[in-house]
Amino acid sequence: MADAEQIYEMMRKSIQDYDSDAAVAAAELAVAEGLDLLEAVEKGFANPIRELGEAFDRMEIFLPELTLGADAMKAGVAVLEKALNEQGGKLEKKATVVVGTVEGDIHDIGKSVVATLLQANGYEVYDLGVEVPAQRIIEAAESHNADVIAMSALLSTTMLYQRDVIELLTNKGIRDKYFILVGGAPVTQAWADEIGADGFAHDAFEAVQLLDGVMEGRGK
Amino acid sequence: MNFNEIAKRCEAGRLTESKDFLMKSVAANAMKLGKEYDITWDGKTFLNTDDDMADRCFQAGRELFINTGIYSMNSSRVVQFSKREVDDALRFIRPQVAMGAGKDRVFIHHRQVEDARKPFIFCGPFNANVHEDMFVRLNEVFSRERIVDCLFFPGYLNEVDGQLIRPTSALATRMAILYGQWAREAVRRGGRPGMAIAGHAVMAPGEIACTHEEWGLRSTDPRAMVLISELQVDDVTLTRLAYYQAYGCPIYMAFTPLVGGYGGNVAGTSVVAVASFIASIMLGGEIVHIGPQHMKYKQQTNQHSLFLASLANQAVARNSNIIATTSHTTSGRPGSAQYAYEFSALALTAVTSGSNVSGPRPAEPLGNNNVSPLMGKLFAEVAHAAAGMSREQAAPIVEALYEKYKDNLDLENAPKGQPFEELYDLNTLTPTPEHQALYDQVKQELADLGIPLV
Repeated sequence: MADAEQIYEMMRKSIQDYDSDAAVAAAELAVAEGLDLLEAVEKGFANPIRELGEAFDRMEIFLPELTLGADAMKAGVAVLEKALNEQGGKLEKKATVVVGTVEGDIHDIGKSVVATLLQANGYEVYDLGVEVPAQRIIEAAESHNADVIAMSALLSTTMLYQRDVIELLTNKGIRDKYFILVGGAPVTQAWADEIGADGFAHDAFEAVQLLDGVMEGRGK
Repeated sequence: MNFNEIAKRCEAGRLTESKDFLMKSVAANAMKLGKEYDITWDGKTFLNTDDDMADRCFQAGRELFINTGIYSMNSSRVVQFSKREVDDALRFIRPQVAMGAGKDRVFIHHRQVEDARKPFIFCGPFNANVHEDMFVRLNEVFSRERIVDCLFFPGYLNEVDGQLIRPTSALATRMAILYGQWAREAVRRGGRPGMAIAGHAVMAPGEIACTHEEWGLRSTDPRAMVLISELQVDDVTLTRLAYYQAYGCPIYMAFTPLVGGYGGNVAGTSVVAVASFIASIMLGGEIVHIGPQHMKYKQQTNQHSLFLASLANQAVARNSNIIATTSHTTSGRPGSAQYAYEFSALALTAVTSGSNVSGPRPAEPLGNNNVSPLMGKLFAEVAHAAAGMSREQAAPIVEALYEKYKDNLDLENAPKGQPFEELYDLNTLTPTPEHQALYDQVKQELADLGIPLV
């Protein structure tokens, strides 16, 4: 029989090795051994993926490693979450975020890093992809009961659509349901202020820090 | 390769998801080939001087491209090429391309490592939003700088009469037409009516409308297409490519390999960069632009990008006839000394590595018209001065320049600079005394560091 610390170590190693199969095996062992599943998520997967994110920020690892590590975490956490749900429990997420690159803009990488790091930091993330029309962003936010809408635009012309999403939300009378975060190369705090967004982040790390602060303030 | 064949393969290639292409194909192969071909970076060197590694990097990049192909983002299909097709395309590259018309006709050449021939200068309000009121005057001043060979990216017009322009709208097409008319008017006023104008109007779907032999962009003007990182292409780019090839424009194909992205470290990203050079040629590119971008710094004069630019450019300069040009994206902005230190460091690196030059531009221009033709002139002068320098001569100067700006790479902390209307007297269209003094002071500093500026 493996004790909790040994299993957490297996989980940590699966993230460090970017190994989804090993993450699933460790998570299944945690369930079989009757571990505290919330603690397993935190100690086994959340802490090491945060460390991986920090290593990415220092450019000690790169996007492929971060993506594989996040995939391993998702695979392992899915096992733990399923078991938790069967036990009548629930994995609390900091917040639900829909994220996408706005209409007319096909740039994916920056938005994907934001999605990955938010997931790694305990957010439930729905990545809508690229070239997402305003109406679809809103539909996704509504259907997933999101707390946050995060929009990326890499062109000075497509950032206009960030404004359209906010305007459409306002017209529908649901603007205040969401914290709206904007980012992308041409986007600035001044633009965020001009269009009435709630937050602006230069990069994925700033996005996580900003949302952590906001969600802590909301007591979520 | 015939464009029709490319377009057909976009509809018939292997169907796969973008993430799988990037992770399983690009990332996995780049890392594997980087190791196999022993492509390394010690984290200290600024400018590669290892010719054998440059040659290995070319072979690794060629193999990567043959393994991966190009991903068509809209059809979700992989466009692949055989070894023979790739080698034929490389063999039949034209090492010289003409652009511009009449007495303003100029030629760009393939350059060798440490080539004594002067690099071709693409220069203009690259990447900046330019207000409609200033568009013609500002570009006129760039065209007056005789050292500039081709007016480069005359600026983004993203609003008209205070109305922001939706990129796929009728207004966007209207602005693309004005972009062509005003850019042509600017070079006419500058006394160079046939001067080549390169770029795109950012509102890509309607941009073909700015093509007109009398008042707009001509068949003698290079048209810029951009690949999406890494090794991806979208329908808008292919549509423009189909038209501009048929119309006879020189094709300027750009790509931005991302250090820290799917290529991984500097070594892997250099391999991806070589593959992207080849991809650009396969798509019909005749002039190929590398923007050695960085995920963290979001600019191109950090140490990783400097080494990447040197290695990838040397790889293609030594092993092909590709006409390469390197973009120069800085943290500092026009009107600051840091701007000049940064573009000089990269220009020395790129030119001695066999590249021509495009730029400079701030990574994050602030507001409209955040550009300086005078700094463009200095950039061109540095690039010319670098021609004939050895890499060993250039490397310590690059390092000394890097020391001057390395603590201000963060875009937030980098100097904010000033807009054109504060750097120039708008009555005379000449630099203000303060801006001229900055140019004189920085040029002297660069000369004192050993750049042979006259």
